[in-house]
Amino acid sequence: MSSRARVARVLGIDGVPILIAFVAVAVYFSLAVPSFFDADALRFYLNEEVPVFIITAGLAFVIIAGGIDLSVGAVLGLSAGTSLLASMNGFSTPLATLVGLGTGFAFGVINGFIIVKLRLNDFIVTLGSLNVAAGLLVVLTDHVQIVGTQDGSYLAIANTSVLGVTSAMLIAVATVAVLQLVLVKTILGRKVMATGLGQTPALIAGIDVGRVKYFAYILSGTLAGLGGVVLASRLNSVQPGLAGGYELAAIAAAVLGGVSLAGGRGGIWQAALGVLLLVTLKQGFRLMGVDPLVFSIITGLCILAGVILDRGVRRLALSLAAPAPAVTDNRELAPAMEAK
Amino acid sequence: MSTASSRGWRTRALQDPAIGILVLLAVASTVIAFIEPTFATRGNVTNIINAMMTISFLAVGMTVVLIAGGLDLSVGSVMGLSAGVAANFLADGIPMPLAFLCALAVGTGLGLINGLLITKLGVPDFIATLAMLSLAGGALLYWTRGVPILGYMSEPYYYIGGLRRVVGPITIPMLLVVVIAVTVAIVLNLSKFGVKLYAVGSSSTGALHAGVRVDRIKIAAYAISGFMAAVAGIHLAGRTTTVPPSIGSGYEISAIAAAVIGGASLLGGKGRVVGALIGALTLTLTRNIINLTGVESSWQAVVIGLVLILAVLANQTWSDLARFVRPRPG
Repeated sequence: MSSRARVARVLGIDGVPILIAFVAVAVYFSLAVPSFFDADALRFYLNEEVPVFIITAGLAFVIIAGGIDLSVGAVLGLSAGTSLLASMNGFSTPLATLVGLGTGFAFGVINGFIIVKLRLNDFIVTLGSLNVAAGLLVVLTDHVQIVGTQDGSYLAIANTSVLGVTSAMLIAVATVAVLQLVLVKTILGRKVMATGLGQTPALIAGIDVGRVKYFAYILSGTLAGLGGVVLASRLNSVQPGLAGGYELAAIAAAVLGGVSLAGGRGGIWQAALGVLLLVTLKQGFRLMGVDPLVFSIITGLCILAGVILDRGVRRLALSLAAPAPAVTDNRELAPAMEAK
Repeated sequence: MSTASSRGWRTRALQDPAIGILVLLAVASTVIAFIEPTFATRGNVTNIINAMMTISFLAVGMTVVLIAGGLDLSVGSVMGLSAGVAANFLADGIPMPLAFLCALAVGTGLGLINGLLITKLGVPDFIATLAMLSLAGGALLYWTRGVPILGYMSEPYYYIGGLRRVVGPITIPMLLVVVIAVTVAIVLNLSKFGVKLYAVGSSSTGALHAGVRVDRIKIAAYAISGFMAAVAGIHLAGRTTTVPPSIGSGYEISAIAAAVIGGASLLGGKGRVVGALIGALTLTLTRNIINLTGVESSWQAVVIGLVLILAVLANQTWSDLARFVRPRPG
């Protein structure tokens, strides 16, 4: 194998561009800001983003299956509310956790039912359930912040220190790892990939496309519930508007990680790496003393740059590999076809 | 002969998803008018029409983008930035036509950039316009340092904002919505551009094979959406008389909802101006009814979410029904 083909192969792997970007950004900030690798600060910022990691994993699953779930942020907020209220009203910790997970599960079932069985557009349906969930949180909290539970075991869900990290971070890592394994190592994962690549061929191949999508939405909803429980446990307070806009951060992170919104391409760990990149940028700019007012401008530019870089690297890989005529993998050809 | 034409008329009406929504609206309005006498008063009707203007401008622009098979999440924040440009320039003493021209240029320019990012650099529409949402929103925030813009109102601007009436209950925004709606409807239905727009949205590969310059059409669609966002911004700055940095946030959701309720599809190739206006009316009417009937305001978002899903369901059921009723060809 020539060195050119070898470079092309490495660059063509899903997640390599985001890995390069992440390493570059991390190295830059550690040189520019000496306090960047301060363990306590890092732990604090990563701990803050745990709910985003969890919903990004679930959302990436839905996107890879060829759908979209805009409701994850609002459902996360609502689940945090139901779970915390349950704990405040004397439910035991396992039961309160179950209430939060159940809330997310219910929204996943409803989203899945309307999208798969009633065949309505996923974007609109989940936009609607976003509104419903956010509204229900307002009703639940009656416009004010609710604080908090006395149950120490409920607060321990997210705040236990294990081997120098918090239990919340372990939950996030476990979620990402399990979903990645499901996607890559199981038959279900193959079916999800196939459904996202093309529903009609998947159907012809004997895959029950509806069931696969239904499963993806239920998974994404339930993980939003899990994220809600973790968030409520960490904050011990819930207010209306909680977790609003998380869905956009999650989608941006997934796409930065190379997950295609067209479906069928990408992975869970790459999406998680996308979250990590966004967190690093935020934390880095904060430490450098950049005006917080320009954060949103910088974030917007970084998302654009990341996506353009991802495509650029992919095309480079494709053109380097071009002399070898045997590029039969659809997933490598797809981006080049889209560009036409 | 007469049977055939009347059946044709009936089928066409049945196939029209807008009719489904209109029937729903009419039934809801009649019921509410009986329960709540203040609903059908002249004052309240004028209120409803005034309140739907901003969303109408945005929904018309969004419909054009949706027809082309795209999606524009940036309209709310582009509207906000345009409002900021108009207000700030007026406050600095720049003549009104020039200030408005600058606002329109900013909106159209950002729309152009959206279109270029999507077609030339191949960034997915969702991501490109999401980034533009952050950029334009951030630009307004940075420019104003988080402080609302004040002190730009003048006598003519009260008219443009719809706060003063021209004749009877008619305001300038109402006239403007009618002019724009008619113009865009003519362009969509009768011009070559309109035909190409629907073609690109239905199948961009097909349109490409037919010799349509797909990229240009898409860029134009995003520029139109940006232009409409700027028009909405100029109007909104007049209506609110102050421009807080967050003025445009959340409007993209209303615009998409209105366009989709009006029959536009996120898959492209479908959508009409009348539909966009009906969608804007549906949203505004829902909010008005919630306020009037004294439903606790906490429930507002829940109801809007349900209305969105129900309206799309009604659209689909209506066209399924039409397929069922339509006589078989041949």
